[in-house]
Amino acid sequence: MLLVPCPNCGPRNSADLRYGGESHARPDPATAAPLQWRGYLYLRDNPAGWLRETWYCRSGCRRWFTLERNTATNEFRDPPQPGDKRGTKA
Amino acid sequence: MADSPTFESPVVRGYDTADSGDLLLTDASATIKWLIRASPDGSVADRLGASFGSSSAAASGATVLGSRPGEWIVLGTAAEVAGAVEGLEGLDSSDFVSCLDWTHGRALFRVTGNETTRMLEKVCSLDWSDPMTPDGAVASASVAKVTCDVARSDVDGTPSYLVFCDRSFGQYLFDALIDAGDEFGLVVGPARP
Amino acid sequence: MTMSRLGPQPTEVIDRSTTPRFRWNGKRFSGFEGDTIASALAAAGEHVFSRSMKYHRPRGILTADYWDPNLLVQVGDDPNVRAGHRLLEAGMNVQAQNVWPSLRHDIKAANGLVSRFLTAGFYYKTFMRPQKLWPAYERVLATFAPGGKVDPDTPHRYHDKRYTHPDVVVAGAGPAGIEAAVAAAAAGARVLLVEHEHAVGGHLRYSSQEPDRAALSELRAALDASGVEVLTDSTVTGRYEDNWLGIVQRSHPIAVERLIKARAKVLVVAPGLIERPYVFSGNDRPGVITSGAARRLINLWGVKPGERAVVFTANSDGDEAAADLDRVGVEVAAVIDGRDGRRISAAQGSSKALEAVLSGGTRTEADLLVVAAGWTAPTSLLNMSGDRPVYDPAVARFFPSDPPGNVLATGGLAGDGSLDELRAHGTTTGKLAAQRAAAVAHRYQARTARALPVTGDEPAWAADLRVPLRRNHHPELYRSDTHGMIDFSEDVGSKDLVAAAREGYDSVELAKRYTTATMGSAQGKLETVNTVAAIAEARGETIAQVGTTVWRPPYAPLTLGALAGRVFEPVRVSSIHPWHEANGVRTILAGQWIRPDHYGDPAAEVRNVRANVGLIDVTPLGKLDLRGPDIPNLLNLLYTNKWSKLPVGKVRYGMMCAEDGVVLDDGVTGRLGDDHYLMTTTSSGAGGVWEWVENWLQTERPHWRVHVTPVTTAYSSINVAGPKSRELVSRVAEGVDLSSEAFKYMEVRTATVAGVAGCFMWRIGFTGELSFELHVPAGHGMHVWEALMEAGADLGVGPFGLEGQRIMRLEKGHFIVGQDTDGLTLGPSTGLSPLIKLDKDDFAGMPELAWAADRKLPMIVAIQPDDPNVVPEEAAQIVRGDTNEILGRITSSRMSPTLGRSICLGQVEPELAAGGTKVTVLLVSGERISATVMDHHAHFDPDGERLRG
Repeated sequence: MLLVPCPNCGPRNSADLRYGGESHARPDPATAAPLQWRGYLYLRDNPAGWLRETWYCRSGCRRWFTLERNTATNEFRDPPQPGDKRGTKA
Repeated sequence: MADSPTFESPVVRGYDTADSGDLLLTDASATIKWLIRASPDGSVADRLGASFGSSSAAASGATVLGSRPGEWIVLGTAAEVAGAVEGLEGLDSSDFVSCLDWTHGRALFRVTGNETTRMLEKVCSLDWSDPMTPDGAVASASVAKVTCDVARSDVDGTPSYLVFCDRSFGQYLFDALIDAGDEFGLVVGPARP
Repeated sequence: MTMSRLGPQPTEVIDRSTTPRFRWNGKRFSGFEGDTIASALAAAGEHVFSRSMKYHRPRGILTADYWDPNLLVQVGDDPNVRAGHRLLEAGMNVQAQNVWPSLRHDIKAANGLVSRFLTAGFYYKTFMRPQKLWPAYERVLATFAPGGKVDPDTPHRYHDKRYTHPDVVVAGAGPAGIEAAVAAAAAGARVLLVEHEHAVGGHLRYSSQEPDRAALSELRAALDASGVEVLTDSTVTGRYEDNWLGIVQRSHPIAVERLIKARAKVLVVAPGLIERPYVFSGNDRPGVITSGAARRLINLWGVKPGERAVVFTANSDGDEAAADLDRVGVEVAAVIDGRDGRRISAAQGSSKALEAVLSGGTRTEADLLVVAAGWTAPTSLLNMSGDRPVYDPAVARFFPSDPPGNVLATGGLAGDGSLDELRAHGTTTGKLAAQRAAAVAHRYQARTARALPVTGDEPAWAADLRVPLRRNHHPELYRSDTHGMIDFSEDVGSKDLVAAAREGYDSVELAKRYTTATMGSAQGKLETVNTVAAIAEARGETIAQVGTTVWRPPYAPLTLGALAGRVFEPVRVSSIHPWHEANGVRTILAGQWIRPDHYGDPAAEVRNVRANVGLIDVTPLGKLDLRGPDIPNLLNLLYTNKWSKLPVGKVRYGMMCAEDGVVLDDGVTGRLGDDHYLMTTTSSGAGGVWEWVENWLQTERPHWRVHVTPVTTAYSSINVAGPKSRELVSRVAEGVDLSSEAFKYMEVRTATVAGVAGCFMWRIGFTGELSFELHVPAGHGMHVWEALMEAGADLGVGPFGLEGQRIMRLEKGHFIVGQDTDGLTLGPSTGLSPLIKLDKDDFAGMPELAWAADRKLPMIVAIQPDDPNVVPEEAAQIVRGDTNEILGRITSSRMSPTLGRSICLGQVEPELAAGGTKVTVLLVSGERISATVMDHHAHFDPDGERLRG
């Protein structure tokens, strides 16, 4: 089982977290065109390589955060340290 | 009008109890517990003392657990907790602070004994070794598939842990801990706050 | 072959003073404590243990260990027990599997006579058509299926589970593995040593050589003093991401099996080598055994494997087997040395009188043929770590290639060498493992908030400076000049693989699936490399060119019980649950909640609520305590309607939609104070909505000042419903004016109830009756419930359950998210479009709901069957006339005790949504009934006069 480096709790089993999928910015709902909004809802890059993604530390600190993971090797890049304030979406 | 009510624990099943044992499990659900929220690095955090993952003792005698970044559980007797919580909400107008009596929302158990770590290994995937979870450490994790706050709070040098869960899971978790501790000679102690 | 018990052997593991008695195929036997089932039976002269899977050929001991494919037996109600491994216990009832009518006289052995028809792909080719006959084929074929009997009445047994976080896990306790464990522990690491066999020592255990025995006692002593945790009869079954290991512990004092999930910082892989059978004609006859089998039988259990033996040896293990046989009085009729290019060609005759035929045609009579043709490297755990081992033709086995840095191989897997060299390699591997584990531990500790602070920098990643073990030359011995068995478990011979290759299945992965070679109980340990060799030969290529299959978890088969472990099934109950149990409740499991469904007669409960007053325990209702000045902003964002002007003391209903506009949840939220609200969610949505709210607050609106706390079980929630509810509540509540003028519908008040301060109550109406929903600190929930029951006795108060509530809400036409809506139900389909305020700045799902506003959508409607006595099943389809064109479905249906007729909610296409439309409902029985779409969702009291009273 993957060890996910939670910026608050430290390395935790992935089962302790909820996978939030690719990190994606929410379009402005006032101006978003249907294609743009549905891209936000459904379209993912799904690269074989580095991906910025969101996790929710469900059993631990209950914080959402983003990480960069290589989907081909499951490496995490620049794992955040405890107290790292990158607890929000990119 | 009905009689003045007493606190009913979520652990309602009857058990044979003993005052001591190699591994002692007690129901401490009646303990007063408050949940405090504030900025993780403001003056409330300074006063409470415990940073995320650690615990501290308040001057009032209450125990303060740094349960999440910017969240604390304060527990003790009513007077101890009141002493620790009093004035927090007005301490710093720039800090957004809230204090909530969580006594009825959380079951609380204490398990004490030299084999506690091995018992917890049967129900929780965290690393309970001394370097990773020293005395005073606070963590949240799934215990027997229930999300719990767990605090290590040794008693006279003997490993001891406080385990909090949603009140409605209380009876289930109490029984799951008894099952896990059975091979280590777990006994149920009398309920005490 | 005639096996028998020898006199005491210096290396034996049996206790001859204890003689457990057991049954084998109904007959009584006895063995010694320490015997395996197979060794006890062999000592008693048994030589046929099973029949082969397809041809039902008699099979005897082959390897005499865990991997022996011929020794699967039924023990009591336990199928597929490995008799070569399972220790004998008194009272065991052991039976042969896959035999009919008996092991000795197996009728299906006639299959052997037609084996040329049962070649590769036989089943695929023969039984695929005509397709309609498959059920008949299946019935017959099922009787031929191998394996034991599963008894559905087997009592549930206790399996256990444990997590552990050692620095170093060593898989395999042979000499190298023990040294690695001891060295790692000496370097300060926390070490777990896992041994597949019943005792540590690896191949030293069954060696009669004096230096080996001395080394073994030395290793055992070092291990005992090391502080290493040793698990025997246990297997590392899998290695996953970041050294997450599955370990099955087969013998455990408190459980039949314990599954250990270990997070190792470094894994040392030291499983040793597995002796490989040689492929020649008759190689599966009873009496043909591996050299390891001979040595184990003699040295571990004091079993004489035969009277007259022929030994085919290509290595020192074969030589030692010959020496052991000679030492214990087995006549060694011939030793055929494979290193000289001599080959065994066939084993003929019966098991009692075997004839070994050499490739030159020379025949030797014997009752035992011992074969030492080489080893397979069980690289499974390396494969699972991402390594792709490489074949070395000079050594005739695979070697590790480039495993990740936290996985280290040692022992036979890494090379050959003297015992001292293997031990030295183990020691340096253990030191390296400890060094690397220290670096990982430092990293984990430094990054974990609760851990002790670390001192100093993370230790450097230690370089691998181990001197590689040398590799001894070994002839490539896979198949002789005849064809024979390759996969003993699946009855696949070399001929089958040649045939498969000829038919085009000439890649290993294809041939494996086509012939099922390597897919049986031995999990490829004995047959994978022979399979590869056969394919290579058929293709005229080398083994390296053909490549091999990837070993995947599990390393050894494990039971479903072990995987399930102890079953954690958390359940929630309310504080009032003991009252329900004492009062005849029928419970229903709703999510994790055990809830009262009813107390015997839900219809009567409904009538009592409509006539008098009832109590329902609605504690599972999701409740979130909200504090802070930005709550109106948050509510405006989460709900589709407007929340900016909700006064203190008021309650409002809201619907939440996801960003795709689909209904997510609904409930009421009340304002308790200036900056204090209580939000309720559906019971099943409580957890999800909490995460949803946190997501918005943490990621999209981190500057908002709102604190959210789940308080679902901090309160016992009691809905007091019925025309007499006001009277009842007034008898127990203090400090609140309950009159209809002072406390209106959709308002909230705090109060003291039955002496319990800090309760609050609101007037809402899911049941359609005047009702007060009390939220009581949970530690007093039972007290308040009992006080209400007592106070209302003269009012006819009674409990009602979920079923009664569901009936009443259906009478009122309230939809339930997830019951009447689904993953495609957009907000407007609920009929609540007036609550979707598209003029707000923003809310979850707003763009989709804006676009949906102009579209005609399927609608939730109330439906009444024209025959009031017919209750269509939930999920019954609404179709167009006599066709099967689906136009909707029934989502909820009940017989209404209040109206005396059947009532439904359903989702229908827009064309059917208008009141008065006639629809056709297709029942599960196939019958079509006529029904009418109603004007309002509410079947009962559509104007809501009762609940506002």
